[in-house]
Amino acid sequence: MTDLPEYVIDRVFDAPRKLVWKAWTTPDLLARWYGPGVDTIIHKFELKPGGLWLNEMKWGDKSDLSRMEFVAVEPETQLVWLHSSADANWNVAPNQMMPDWPRTLRITVDFRDMGDKAGVRLSKVPVDASEAEIACFVQAMSNLDKGWGSGFAMLADILAELQA
Amino acid sequence: MESPGYKSAQLDAVFGALSDPTRRAILARLAKGEASVNELAKPFPISQPAISRHLKVLERAGLVDRKADEQRRLASLNAENLRLASGWLEYFATFWPKNFDQLDGLLSDLKKEPNHD
Repeated sequence: MTDLPEYVIDRVFDAPRKLVWKAWTTPDLLARWYGPGVDTIIHKFELKPGGLWLNEMKWGDKSDLSRMEFVAVEPETQLVWLHSSADANWNVAPNQMMPDWPRTLRITVDFRDMGDKAGVRLSKVPVDASEAEIACFVQAMSNLDKGWGSGFAMLADILAELQA
Repeated sequence: MESPGYKSAQLDAVFGALSDPTRRAILARLAKGEASVNELAKPFPISQPAISRHLKVLERAGLVDRKADEQRRLASLNAENLRLASGWLEYFATFWPKNFDQLDGLLSDLKKEPNHD
């Protein structure tokens, strides 16, 4: 299982590690930043191994549900959860946009001190994934590696022009 | 909830099609309106057959439609497929970076409230 593709993102926050942990593990605070440009509603948040984080992201008349199950909770040090798309009953379900997207990813977040700042590393790997799911994830990762930034900017311009 | 159900094979085709700067430039041109191969070839230092090959790739990815029954075979942009693919790509690539930007903002607010740290 060591050759599974892994997505990794590093970020340094100008805040004490303790505060970053708090923003991540306090539902009221978490809902204020989790979910880009959407309304986030946290339906359940049980911060312990085996506990669930049931998350809804709303935009317009659409809703995207995720079911997260905590695997490890090491205060101010590490948070690990299994992250799945969910149906209306909070059961694990295929991703709406991409049927072959891995149903479950393991997300690991490591928190560490960097002087008076906090370093965060987030990684995700597919869990119990089928060959098609792994292929889909690998494809998406390799496209990111090819520097999709410029492609996105161009697509955004094209779409903006169409809407004008 | 809507379920566009964009198949990953289709998405792979889209990724492949968009990975080439000439093809992206063709899409940008078609965003302004339909065009013939002749018209599309003009700005590029490559042959018409080469442009035709690029168009075929874009057509297979569902990003471009061609009118088969006309002499000029005008090509036009399939904006809906482009929007789907672009939306998904954007979501995948920017989910965590955007979240972290928002967390950054929240943390700087929280630091102003002494009871939080």
